Amino acid sequence: RNYVKMCSLPRFMLEVFLVNCCLGLVSSLYFHMTEGEQKCFIEEIPADTVVVGDYWTQLYDEQKREYLPATRNLTLSVAARTPTDELILSHKETKGRFNFTSFTSGEHKICLHDSVANYFNIGVTLQVVCMDIRSGERTNNYTEIQKRELLTQLQLRVRRLSAQVHDIHKELIYSRSREKNFLVINHNVNMWIYWWPIIRSVAGKITVKDQNRHLKTVDLN
Amino acid sequence: MEPVRMVLCLLSVFISLVSDRLVVLASFSQATDSDFTFSLPAGRKECFYQTMKKEASLEIEYQVLDGAGLDVDFSISSPSGQLLFSDQRKSDGVHTVETHEDGDYVFCFDNTFSSISEKLVFFELILDNMDQEEDPDNWKEHIIGTDSLDMKLEDIMDTINNVKSRLGKSVQIQTLLRAFEARDRNLQESNFDRVNFWSVVNLFVMMVVSAVQVYLVRLLFEDKRKIRT
Repeated sequence: RNYVKMCSLPRFMLEVFLVNCCLGLVSSLYFHMTEGEQKCFIEEIPADTVVVGDYWTQLYDEQKREYLPATRNLTLSVAARTPTDELILSHKETKGRFNFTSFTSGEHKICLHDSVANYFNIGVTLQVVCMDIRSGERTNNYTEIQKRELLTQLQLRVRRLSAQVHDIHKELIYSRSREKNFLVINHNVNMWIYWWPIIRSVAGKITVKDQNRHLKTVDLN
Repeated sequence: MEPVRMVLCLLSVFISLVSDRLVVLASFSQATDSDFTFSLPAGRKECFYQTMKKEASLEIEYQVLDGAGLDVDFSISSPSGQLLFSDQRKSDGVHTVETHEDGDYVFCFDNTFSSISEKLVFFELILDNMDQEEDPDNWKEHIIGTDSLDMKLEDIMDTINNVKSRLGKSVQIQTLLRAFEARDRNLQESNFDRVNFWSVVNLFVMMVVSAVQVYLVRLLFEDKRKIRT
């Protein structure tokens, strides 16, 4: 019966995983979040790119300088928005993974929001969030691909290289379209700066003529 | 039922304990790098913590992409609290940290000097954990055949490693170019908005001033008339 208790699998895995997370997994970058706080990350990606994010959270007591045991169900809501501010993902979980595929190319905003319900001792505890966001080729699960397509190590390596090249090529195409947009904005600014003095002098002339007309009607006596 | 569950439990513990090793092998990477673009609200300081082992190197490159002034304060501290680098109001910077101690290295972006403008900051972390070298003997297990085939496979492996490291470098450069372009584009967009806004205001002010002039002159002469009669 003791083993059954220890084995409430998700929670136990969470604790052991957290110890591992910020020590050995792919990215061990973490930051703090306090109650009601929102942190936004921006991913500028071409169209049809898969974005996968992994995050782990744990409560930390600043006064006692220790991590609190993960007994409570912490919720962190994740929202992803397109460049045109449409919501494409809304997620609310304690730990785990969020993923979405971009429809258009551009700056996608991923916001993490911490709810006040997590804290029973506001001002003292804060949440430590360990996060990793990957896009494109880095989201591929190569062990799975190897199993599924029965590739040797060498073949898997080459497959990874070709995925990297594909990503680079996609990024290059995207950067060309960005440059075109930039040229358009540049052109608009230049045109405005060029025509503005002419517009202003014409407007000035009309205003002065209008003024004269009004003043002529004044009877000077 | 119970022993099965116990076995599964022990297996999961074992897997989770070795999971980091498995992930490293599966991802085929010696140097892991991650880049983030985040918004730093006005008057705030954001800190990020990175766990590092001894005798490794951490390179961080940051750039301010948007926000009036395009500058931010930056600092890196070691796990023992010693300030390693500090930049005041720079718009971009590169720093390499050779780690001499295990622990969490802190780097902070400070926007407290600005009370109204929100900054958009991009940073890229390039980690080089020198002890996680790929084991070349790992490959030898998969080689079956004559000696000449052995050599050829080693050559292929060398070429692949070469290509992989160059592609990694290309990805990094692309990320950097993307950040530069984003900054220039944001700058130009804000220029456009500013030029637009102020020229319309200019026009408006000119018209208002001329109308006020006409009104005042009229008032002046009407008063004179009233006084006379």
